[in-house]
Amino acid sequence: MAFPHFFDPWLFVAEFAFSIIAVLFCFLIFFRTKESYELTKHRGIRYFRNAFLFFGLSYVMRFLFNLVLLSGIAFDVILPRRIFWPIFMLPLAYFSTIGICYLVFSLIWKNAGSRALFWAGNITALALLGISFITRSHYTLLLSQSVLIIFAVILSGFMHTRRKKLSRTRILYFLVALLWLLNLWVLGPRRKVFSFGLQLLFELISIGVFWVIYAKVIRWAR
Amino acid sequence: MGQMSMRKRDRLEVIYDILKIIRDRHNSVRPTPLLRIANLSSQSFAEYFGELASKGFVKEITDKKGRKYITLTDKGFRYLEKYAYIASFIDEFELGA
Repeated sequence: MAFPHFFDPWLFVAEFAFSIIAVLFCFLIFFRTKESYELTKHRGIRYFRNAFLFFGLSYVMRFLFNLVLLSGIAFDVILPRRIFWPIFMLPLAYFSTIGICYLVFSLIWKNAGSRALFWAGNITALALLGISFITRSHYTLLLSQSVLIIFAVILSGFMHTRRKKLSRTRILYFLVALLWLLNLWVLGPRRKVFSFGLQLLFELISIGVFWVIYAKVIRWAR
Repeated sequence: MGQMSMRKRDRLEVIYDILKIIRDRHNSVRPTPLLRIANLSSQSFAEYFGELASKGFVKEITDKKGRKYITLTDKGFRYLEKYAYIASFIDEFELGA
């Protein structure tokens, strides 16, 4: 089958492979820590698991969103924005924001009660969802999540003053959030903000980060 | 087995200590010696015991003479088996806050 000249099948293959691997790693991290959580009901483990569950769902929604965009380009089937925006972008906004929140909560949970963190996470996620719904732009979501991540880094650093050294785990967490933002860029109408090579590089680094986290999980949560 | 360390233990560690005491005593110990060896106040012990029983880690059995003993369930043994890994996992990902 001949593709229109502006449809890049390699981009589609790369996106598909990346999404499958990212989602697989996120869900594997969630399921491999199930027993550790069920035995202990440890809040830190709960937030950690939830973070990867929601990141997994975010990458599912990101892939579906991308699929609709790429199918539109390939087959000239353009779904009206008012239809596909709420279906894909709003769950994506909610899942990814709450995923970032849970990742932060896994580090700071001793400083707040379960209920407070539940409301803090959901109110933040719904607020960012509301902002992206009103503006109908994924760039506002990007901007809001960037602010959230900067705030999270400051907050987690402030609450961990006793640990002077920046740990590898924190760097990994930061990379998970940062790479999520970079991977979110490609969903915009100006898709060519990154070259194919650069986009592929971000996706490979993302897979590398997930792999490192998963390897640490299976080392201890067996 | 000697008294538990006076260092402040976290919740998972206390649970581990209680379960380990039971296991090391041939999986059968009376509540009073358990409380003493675990180095907990009566109130703390009651809370931990309630939690362990509700989670299905331990069960209380009564012998023919009406004496109560605490024993581990399969889940309790599983916790002991997994504790070292779980503690390392929490430490590795800084989940202990």
